[in-house]
Amino acid sequence: MNQTIPPNAGPKKDDKPDRDHAMFDAELSGNVLNFQLLKRVLTWLVPYRLSLWVSAALVLVASFAAVLMEVVISRVLVDYIIVGDANSPMPDLGLIALTQQLEETFGLPALYVAGGLFFVLMSIVALLGHWHRLTLIDAIVKALRDLRQDLFAHLESRPSSFFDRVPVGRIMTRVTNDVEALYEMLRGLGSLVGEFVPFFVALTIMLSTSVELTLILLLLVPVVGSATYFFRQASREIFRQVRNSVSGLNQFLQENLSGMQVVQLSQRQDQNRAAYTEINRLNLEQENRSINLTTYYGAFNDSLASIGLGIIIYYGGGSVVQSEMSLGGVILFTRFMNMLFTPVVLLGEQLNVLFRAMASGERIFQALDWDEQIREPSHPATLPERLEGRVEFRGLSFGYSKDTQVLDNVSVLIEPGKKLAIVGPTGSGKSTMIRLLGRFYDFPDGMIFLDGIDLQHIPSRSVRRRIGVVLQDFHIFSGSILDNITLSDPLITRARAIEAAKMVNAHHFIEALPEGYDAPLVERGANLSQGQRQLLAFARVLAADPEILILDEATASIDTETEQLIQEGLQRLMQGRTSILIAHRLQTIQEADHVMVLELGKVREYGTHQALIAQGGLYKTLHDLQFQELSAEVTPPGLVPE
Amino acid sequence: MKALLRLVPYIARYRWQVVVGFVGFFLARFFEVSTYYGVALGIDAIGALVQEESLPFGLEIWEIVVGIVSAVVLRFIFVSRARRAFRLVGQKVSFDLREQLFASVLVQGPAFFGRIGVGDLMTRAIQDISLVQRLIAFGLIQVVIMVYAPLFGMTAMLFKSVSLTVLILPLLPILYFYAQYVATQMAESSQQVQESLSMLAAHTQENLSGIRTVQAQAQEENEIKRFFQTNNQYASAFYEQARINSLMTAWTPWLTALAQLGIIVYGGNLVLTGALSVGDLIFFLACLNMLLQPIRMAGFFITMVARARVGVERLCEVFDAPPEIIDRPTGEAPSAISGAFVFKEASFTYPGAVAPALSDLNFSIQRGESIGIVGRVGSGKSTLLKLCTRLLELNEGAVELDGVPIDNYALAQLRSQIAQVLQDPFLFGEPLSANISYDDPERALDLIWDAADAAALRETVLTFPEQMSTLVGERGVTLSGGQKQRTTLARGLIRNAPVLILDDCFSAVDTETEEHILSRLKRLRAGKTTILVSHRVSTLRHTDRILVLEGGRLMESGSHDALLAKGGLYAELERLQTQGQRPDYEPELV
Repeated sequence: MNQTIPPNAGPKKDDKPDRDHAMFDAELSGNVLNFQLLKRVLTWLVPYRLSLWVSAALVLVASFAAVLMEVVISRVLVDYIIVGDANSPMPDLGLIALTQQLEETFGLPALYVAGGLFFVLMSIVALLGHWHRLTLIDAIVKALRDLRQDLFAHLESRPSSFFDRVPVGRIMTRVTNDVEALYEMLRGLGSLVGEFVPFFVALTIMLSTSVELTLILLLLVPVVGSATYFFRQASREIFRQVRNSVSGLNQFLQENLSGMQVVQLSQRQDQNRAAYTEINRLNLEQENRSINLTTYYGAFNDSLASIGLGIIIYYGGGSVVQSEMSLGGVILFTRFMNMLFTPVVLLGEQLNVLFRAMASGERIFQALDWDEQIREPSHPATLPERLEGRVEFRGLSFGYSKDTQVLDNVSVLIEPGKKLAIVGPTGSGKSTMIRLLGRFYDFPDGMIFLDGIDLQHIPSRSVRRRIGVVLQDFHIFSGSILDNITLSDPLITRARAIEAAKMVNAHHFIEALPEGYDAPLVERGANLSQGQRQLLAFARVLAADPEILILDEATASIDTETEQLIQEGLQRLMQGRTSILIAHRLQTIQEADHVMVLELGKVREYGTHQALIAQGGLYKTLHDLQFQELSAEVTPPGLVPE
Repeated sequence: MKALLRLVPYIARYRWQVVVGFVGFFLARFFEVSTYYGVALGIDAIGALVQEESLPFGLEIWEIVVGIVSAVVLRFIFVSRARRAFRLVGQKVSFDLREQLFASVLVQGPAFFGRIGVGDLMTRAIQDISLVQRLIAFGLIQVVIMVYAPLFGMTAMLFKSVSLTVLILPLLPILYFYAQYVATQMAESSQQVQESLSMLAAHTQENLSGIRTVQAQAQEENEIKRFFQTNNQYASAFYEQARINSLMTAWTPWLTALAQLGIIVYGGNLVLTGALSVGDLIFFLACLNMLLQPIRMAGFFITMVARARVGVERLCEVFDAPPEIIDRPTGEAPSAISGAFVFKEASFTYPGAVAPALSDLNFSIQRGESIGIVGRVGSGKSTLLKLCTRLLELNEGAVELDGVPIDNYALAQLRSQIAQVLQDPFLFGEPLSANISYDDPERALDLIWDAADAAALRETVLTFPEQMSTLVGERGVTLSGGQKQRTTLARGLIRNAPVLILDDCFSAVDTETEEHILSRLKRLRAGKTTILVSHRVSTLRHTDRILVLEGGRLMESGSHDALLAKGGLYAELERLQTQGQRPDYEPELV
């Protein structure tokens, strides 16, 4: 297991470890009982240990009462009342004496007293059993809620390098499915306790009734145990194959449904149908194998308890005649058979759940132990109340992994309040520059200064509070428009949010919605137009009032009217702020103070728009290609796509 | 219930297995009662030995024990055989349902998939079929239990003592209604658990997808607090469900114990008066369990049937949907398509839409011509292209291909001689080579490389360690948008079809690469009909003729130069794209 979980040691100070993010997806060892892991899960239960103790006490009393119910039937009813044998040496846990005393006290016939006892006991079983389950579940549910919360909080502060490489879906199943699996496990362990307590109580009474018969019956337990073991061995592989073939079926279907038009245009219907039948048939075969195994296993287990009945009658017949056992004693044994076998069978079932949960537990702890993070300064520099906004990149080189280089010795200075437009083909490193400025990644080579302070000396959260980023794929959360502007930040008041929306021209369209600022947005803002979403993103940044603005301009088309609003909004947003723009629109570029042309991570050209056009270099070529002033036949030298 | 009747023909195919199941369970029940009866006999025999009375039926104890063991063994054989039979039927029926579902969706088109989305269809294929499978595998067993258990239990009890049986009868309806009541409560609370679980999942997903925004605004702590509410809500819903579940676990045995109480007091009395033996009393207690078994399961069974019924309805909705495009070739169509299209007053409206996507189109395309189509989002470009391969069917007007109505062609011919590359670059989770040569998995590798060349994909493929064998899609390498587009482009080009239709296939491809591909395309497609949608004037200018669509209507058509000279929409677009000024006409470019 130690090999599957990344080492606990944090990243070395200077050498950034090249993490294997595929590890996060990898199938973990699983299927091994790992007590270390179990112990670790249990630490979340510690705050609720009082509930656990109460629950354990309740189940003990309830189990004892359940056993006493059977004693009432066999010893009191059969031996004492029917057979009239009050003095047999068989244990009755004082119930016969109690019955006799109650008979005298209330002057009732023994049968009614026995009935009364039975009623009290069965009510105790029901009531305390219920309380036991409630306290237990309460503790488990709360413990797992806390675990989930810790997990979420941990994931929330992982750096971008983590989210770049691990798909959201995989992370999500940790928070949902894997925690669910742990519930199954803990609940299973709880019910095992609930079944084993009566097992031991019954066993104690059986032993004191007849050691020999009890031992003979106990011989059946290893039979059930080994049947369970063999079943597990045999079924593991079969179940795995069933799971694989089911996911094969689903994957094939999903893909064909999503690509149905391609399937139809390629005339692949018949071929794909045959392929599907093939997978379907394979699945059927595997399901059949699993059915054969499970049906025999289940029937075998419940037959053994009945075989036990035969043994009791055979052995009991002999002992009763020799006065070693009473008739009630024999009946007691027959009534205890279920208590003896249920927990063993359950144990087999619970083992499966336990094994499955082990894998989930490993995945959860792997995520909790995933210590990848942005390096935070040990002696953070204090930032002034308001930054001037001078941004300098100095000799910055960067790669997302060891063998790629996205930025190569980039240096540029942006004076306070100035606007820099970054231009370059896809993959030239534009977005990387702004990501580094936003402290989303560590950068060992080169420096960035904010008002002359080394960025790496400022805590990442402080950096991000001073820099407003409008990303191209800005994210809209489900919730109201207002929530999306404030991002539920309690520091941003409604009035401030509305003020911001007015500034960036978003107020008009928001007011036009029936519910105004409280209008709900669905995820990704599907109920807003592209332009409206962009305006909303402006409002969100403006409400946060950062000193520096970063804009990754949207490439998508926007209607004329909104385009006008956006440009105006952008002007106001940039007002008095140092702005770095990844520009796609000619107008945005022309209005910038300087243009920087990046290519393959290198600064190729730098200057004003006019100067660069006049210079006739790469910028001019790019400009011409995109804006078609010249014939498009020109393929610029050295421009490598993507 | 009518919906469930639809299952009958599916099950009837395996009727012998069903018969085996029913007979098997009947015999198994009989032997189960025999076991209990044997135990009762044994107890009475022991009692008789103690009292030194004559043994019941003159049976020795060992004879009774042999009887018990034989009954147990026989029950084991029959019950496992019967269970297997029902479960097999369940699996076989799901097999058949899956086959039918797949065959049904293969003949469907956009209207169908618009109505029932992919996610929904997947739920039907997974959840609904599994509901049916469980209904057959376990539901049938429930039916058997419901009939056989009371039948045997009651018969055996009546056989022993009528009055005692009558005494515990009133409990049955109480237990039944209680079970039903709990089932409804359970259904409600489990729905709430489901809802709060999906809320939890949605919250997590949304948060993680927007993690950059959250972090960029330093809102992590705030988000963690927000998550606690959702998290706690789920925990509460879960606890509530467990509470209801636990109540049922507590009350049902309590009510059963009440019946046992009746047996103890009244039955005990009967024993004392000599009307009943001790063994009979124990037999009664055993039979009681059997009698109550179906009632305890009632709630579970009711829920299962109700859910399966909805499942069957949802499956039948897919099965019953008529094929969207009817393939009825007349045989009058030429065997080789050359690609001369004529659209006559062609109109198309999407089902459920108010405004037509295309209205009253009149134009023709000569064989060998290259046609560019331009227009803003929603102007009907993709719709128009889909009419050419009958992915969509015209509502009004006609489309003729090589002088013959397009409906006269066999779909197979139409789609194999017209290669169409769709706007959405869809790749299958298969090797790159299989994706490119999707129409013919047997095609030689060098032809695939040629197509990759034509789509400027060779360099990209060479960077992958496994080259053409590279697995793409969810389980393989993630390709960039441009790489995906070029792969699908190669998939279209490889067919070297008489007609090639490209629906905005360069939007994520660099301008330079696009230039590259287009100039090569010009050579490859000389003399063959090519229709392409693009937003870029730089692309469109390569074509012989350009059609400008707006709001589903054809506004202009002509060559690049002619349209520029005309000074209409296209000229305006060109001006915008070259001068980058404020657009009056939406540029979907830059």
